Amino acid sequence: MSGPGSSTVYRGKAGQWAFITHRITGFLVFFFLLLHVVDVSLINASPKLYDEVHQLYGNIMLRLFEVGLLGALLFHSFNGLRIVMIDFFPEAIRNERVMFRVVVFFTVVLTAAGGFVILRPFVEGRIL
Amino acid sequence: MPTPVSDRPAPSGSRPKLERRPRQNFETWSWYFMRISGLALLFLALVHFSITHIIYDVVETDARFVAERWDNPLWRAYDWTLLALGLLHGLNGLRWIMDDYISSPTRRAATKAALYSVTGFLFFYGTLTIVTFQSG
Repeated sequence: MSGPGSSTVYRGKAGQWAFITHRITGFLVFFFLLLHVVDVSLINASPKLYDEVHQLYGNIMLRLFEVGLLGALLFHSFNGLRIVMIDFFPEAIRNERVMFRVVVFFTVVLTAAGGFVILRPFVEGRIL
Repeated sequence: MPTPVSDRPAPSGSRPKLERRPRQNFETWSWYFMRISGLALLFLALVHFSITHIIYDVVETDARFVAERWDNPLWRAYDWTLLALGLLHGLNGLRWIMDDYISSPTRRAATKAALYSVTGFLFFYGTLTIVTFQSG
């Protein structure tokens, strides 16, 4: 049934993966935001407590988590742009698969580059 | 503005009917909101992440760092906008997800009630933090 001209119908390919991944990354970023409001708000209770809790973000486990957060943010951002483009310029659906690959490409490249910066203190042995 | 349709005169005392313009209900506005807030959040969130994780290392963003940054009311406005749009965008996204995956009306209502309460509380708490913070 698939073939040229059928690209406007969902058939469990790139569009389906983009849809599912968009939901999962949005869900994860939202729950990080809830946590982040709490950890930042500690600063009013006690700046010292804020600093202690905040030092945890420098730990390697949380640095890996931050790389994951960056990847989720980037995917959700770029795929969101793809959605907006398709919504406002419906002809763009013809290039849907290419656009999805562009989204994945930029997500992977920029997550790797940002991840390198975030993990560098660990790689260089400056932190545990 | 769309032009009035029909060749019949509009009934006196009522507004003319408009052609091909579905009623703009809450879901239509939430659809537009997701696109517009999403575009804003793309810049707000990625700039915020770049400052706190790429330009500075995360361990440098201590209480003193926050105090210096929040000395400038524009950064407070920036952070508050990110907080408000991020929570609303996420709230609406989760509302859509719950509508799709929780089929029992009772459980859906209960989950939404929990989501709205937690988000509302954290919006209030976060706003309070940004507004009332005083350095030193």
